[in-house]
Order: sequence, then structure tokens, then C-alpha cells
Amino acid sequence: MKNTALKIRHLIKYFHDPSTFQVLKGVSFDVNKGEFLSIVGKSGSGKSTLLYVLSTMDTDYEGTLEINDQLLTGKSQNQLAAFRNEHIGFVFQFHYLLPEFTSLQNVMLPALKLGRLSVDEIENNAYNTLRMLDIEDQAIKKASKLSGGQQQRVAIARALINNPSVIMGDEPTGNLDSKNTGAVIDIFRELAQNHKQTIICVTHDNDFASRTDRTIEMHDGRILNSLL
Amino acid sequence: MKKSVNFQISSVHLLSHLGQTIVAVLGVTFGVSMYIFMNSFVNGVNKVQDDMAFSSMAHLRIFNENTTQTYDPLQILNKNDNTVFHIQNSKKIQYSEGIRNADEITTFLYTQPEITAIASQLNYNVFFRNGSKKINGMLSGIEVENENKLFDIGAKVKEGKWTDLNFQKSGIILGIALAGDLGVKLYDNVNILTADGSSKNLIVVGILETSVKQVDKTKAWVNIQTARQIYAKNQNFASDIVINIKDLEATDVFRRKIAPTLPYQIETWQSANEQLVAMTQIRNILAIAVSLTILFVAGFGIYNIMNMTINEKIKEIAILKAQGFSGYDITIIFLSQAAIIGLIGSAVGVVFGYFISLLVNNIPFEIAGLSTLPIYYKTPDFVLAVIFGICTTLLAGFLPARKASKIDPVIIIRG
Repeated sequence: MKNTALKIRHLIKYFHDPSTFQVLKGVSFDVNKGEFLSIVGKSGSGKSTLLYVLSTMDTDYEGTLEINDQLLTGKSQNQLAAFRNEHIGFVFQFHYLLPEFTSLQNVMLPALKLGRLSVDEIENNAYNTLRMLDIEDQAIKKASKLSGGQQQRVAIARALINNPSVIMGDEPTGNLDSKNTGAVIDIFRELAQNHKQTIICVTHDNDFASRTDRTIEMHDGRILNSLL
Repeated sequence: MKKSVNFQISSVHLLSHLGQTIVAVLGVTFGVSMYIFMNSFVNGVNKVQDDMAFSSMAHLRIFNENTTQTYDPLQILNKNDNTVFHIQNSKKIQYSEGIRNADEITTFLYTQPEITAIASQLNYNVFFRNGSKKINGMLSGIEVENENKLFDIGAKVKEGKWTDLNFQKSGIILGIALAGDLGVKLYDNVNILTADGSSKNLIVVGILETSVKQVDKTKAWVNIQTARQIYAKNQNFASDIVINIKDLEATDVFRRKIAPTLPYQIETWQSANEQLVAMTQIRNILAIAVSLTILFVAGFGIYNIMNMTINEKIKEIAILKAQGFSGYDITIIFLSQAAIIGLIGSAVGVVFGYFISLLVNNIPFEIAGLSTLPIYYKTPDFVLAVIFGICTTLLAGFLPARKASKIDPVIIIRG
């Protein structure tokens, strides 16, 4: 059984606005299953751009992207949307919950979209995930009524609901205090170790990076070094 | 399953901005109810006009036109040479007058399935005289039962009885203003004088009031037998045969069908009253224009609200897309909101429109035989109002929904 969760080769990307500028200058690496990877670098180094290419949302690049041995380069937006729904979970810097929905509904939506389980099963799973993240008591509150830390946990629960093979975070702790940051890192470590889920996070927090399995440092669109 | 998620999201959107939703729904409601009201009102007005017009006018009229003969043998024989001729005081000869075989024609007409009523008439201009009073008017010899079938004229007789014309061959029924002008009462005598110089005394057996002033002032009715006797015509003679058919809009089709078999002119009510047809159509156009304008404005309101909603929720849309909702899902989410607004708005609009019409139908309006403002409901108006209401909202929702479906999540999430 192959152990590679994600593989990129020779990723090149340009920004054309305001003037043409090469952001990624041929990036290649592999990420193993169950690995907790962080990508660091100064702002403008291309780390976030790289993450959005990995996320399949940005399709305007050269090179190839494979997740779970499936070539995703060249697929249509709708195919990629379906793939994201099933295989990728996201945690953003600003939690981006749907404010008019309850925490529970926010968590359930991606699973309802996937439509593989019954509504009762999904609700049950959502409760379990919220319990795992210790915010079960906020389940039926509107997302807009939660504190920042609580919202981020709900967002993590939402990323986990479809049991994705890869979880991606764009500065997932950027908006949290140190206590909540520690809690999020613990959750990620536990997911990587016990559930064999691959975690890829962009961060500029060196403490965060030091607690991951591997750190990739980006500089001027290239990988500077790869530390284990 | 997948659909129900999209609908769940759209219903949460609708319910969480209830005020905005209600404004959008009211826009559609207003448009739809105005459409129904305007059209029902115009239908009512058209119907009143038709009822008034058809109280003295048949759908078709068959007659022998009193054409001036243009046959001139001198012109024809000397067409090609340069002969100069001069005739003064030439006399025109009319070869035939009126319809000589009315029975044959009515027998033929009764075989046509479209026919609902036929009546023969013998109409002439006469002088009505009472003592020194002398009034020019029209004497109409009619078939008592048939005339009543066409125009329900018996109901308009204010004094006396319409059917008395059947029993009293020397009876006459006068228009109410004519009787007043002549100074005659029921069972008085009135003398008539024809253009040919024959005169006859008749007994007034009825006084009749249509709401058409011109008719009340100049017209009188006698039995067609009496009229034939006065004019010394045979038992089959009539000046006009009037016909009602089932579909009053299909007169032209019927005219073309029977025209080849009849050696007379046939006139439809439309060609005789083009102004009626024109007014009816103009009112219809006006009603549709006004109500569609209102619907259009409502549609614009919905477009604005949807656009605002989408700008407000642009981050949420990006998040949904990041989680695997496709552009199609996003379109469904927002289009279904428009559809729900359209459906509810139309449904309420139908009820509302009906009640506005009902209310207007009770506003007193006592002119020309009316007691209230006229309203006439037609099912197609209600159906069309709903179709227009839903189409407008779908169209107004479609453009913003498509815009939402094309949002690039990367740009929104990265900021």
C-alpha cells in the first residue's frame, strides 16, 4: 500500500494583476498519509498561493497535483467541487461559518451535500465530532453567537465531518489566543496520529511549526529547505 | 438528498431576512393583484359595452344594399373611340330592393350549427304623426318571438307588453322619448306616413326604453306582417335578416362560410362598429401594459434584493464552494429563493387581486344603466397573472444567482 497522500510536481503559477509576476517557481514535494505538515515563509513567499493550489480551488497553474493517487490537474470545477466535498476539509484563519445557521447545521452541511448517510446518522456524527472538540453544548446556538475560539472549533468539526483524507488550514490559529492555539494543535496532532489524516497548514507562527512533523519553508516561490 | 440541502440553505436565507423576504413577496403580490384587477376591470367595461351594443345590434346582418347602378351602356359601347356624348338628367333604376325570399334564407340559415337566433326585419324611415306633431323616425317591422330571442327586447318594455304585437296586428310599440315627443300614452292612436305616401293609424300597445338615447327618440316597432302590409310587400319580404351566432368573435369566419350561398350583402358587427373593436383592444392593451409595468418594477425590486443578498453573503458562498458545493448548487440555492418568493407572492396576489376587484365591484357608479363599477373575472387572467409573476421573479433571481455561481472562492477567501 502506497503511503503518499499528496504529490505535486513542478508547480508554477503566475499572477497577472497588476503586472505579471511568477509566484511559484517549480515546487515539488510529497506528503505522506498521517503526516502533519506546516508550510512557513514570509508574506509574499507564495505559501498561501501554494495551499490554494493544493486545495483544488485554484486551477490556474502549471505542473501536476495528485491527491490519493488521483490526478486532479485538468478536472472541471464541478468535479473538483465534488472531490473537495469528499476528500478535503478546510479550516480558515477567519472561521467563516454560516452565521445564520446553528453550529450543528454548519457542521452537517458538507455531509448533507455528500449525501452518503441519512440525516439522522449525519446529525449523530456531527454531535460526536462536536463532543470530541468539547463544544457539544454550543450545538444549537447560532454560529454568530459563539466566541472566536468556539467558532474555530466548530469550523474544525465542519472540516472533519466527511472524514476527509486531507485537512488543510490557512493560518488556522492566526486569530486565536495561545490557549486555544494549543488546543487546536493538539486536535490536529491527534487526528494525524490516531486517524491517519493528513494535515497541511500554512502558518507564520514558529511555535506552531515546531510542533508539526515536518516544516516546509517557502522563499520567493521556491522551497528553501525541507526539515523533518 | 442533495437537493434538500440546497433548499434547507435557501429557506434559512429567506427566514433569517424575513423583512426583506416580505418586501420582495409584496412586490410580486402587488404586481399580480394589479394584473388581475386591471384585467378584470377592463373585462367588465368591455362586457358592459358589448351588452349595451348587442342590445340593439346583432352579430351579423344580411341585407340587399341599395346600390346606385353604375351600368352605363353608352360608356361601355363607345369605350375605344372618340365619340363625345352628353346626357343630362339620367335616371337610375333600382332592379331589386330588400330580401324577397326571407323564408328560404332563414330555412337555410337554421341548418347552420353556429346559429343561435335569427330574426327577419323590415325597417323603413317614416313620419310619426299625432295631431300637428310630426317626427321623422324608423319603423321596424319585426318577428315578435325571434326579435326577443336576439335582443331580449321584451324586458325593456316599460309599459304594455312586447308580445301584444303578436295579437294586435295594428299595435305599435314606441321608444319612450318618441312617445313623449309625440305626446301619446298607452292605447292612444298614432299615425304613420311612409315615404311612398301611404299612411296608417296604429294603437300604442307598449312603450320601450333602451339606454341608447338615439333609439328611444326615433324608433318604433310593429309586427313584421303589419309592416309588409303598409309597404305592400309579399309575405316573404324583409329588409334585413339579423343573426346571432355562438362565438361573437368568429363572425368573420361564419360570414365567409355562408357568403357564397347568399346573393346579398353580409355585415359583421365588427365591420359595422370598428370603433367598438378598437376601443376594446386599446383598453386590453392598456390593462396589460400597466400591469406588466408593475410586475416589471416588482421584478427589478427582487433583482436588487437578490443582488444585495449575494453581495452580503459572498463569503458564505465562497465557503460553500470550498466545502464542495458546485456552481450549480449555488444557482439552485438562490434561484429557489426567487421561486419561493414568486410562488408565495403570486398565490397571495391572486387572492388579493380577487378581493380588490370585489371591492371595486361594489363602488357605486350610476351612469348609463350601471349601478356599480363593472368587474368581470376570466380564468385565463388569473393563470397568466401567476405565470407572469413566477416568470418575472425567476428572471430577476436568475441573473444574481448566476453571478453567485461564478464567484471564485480563492479570491474571496484570500481577501
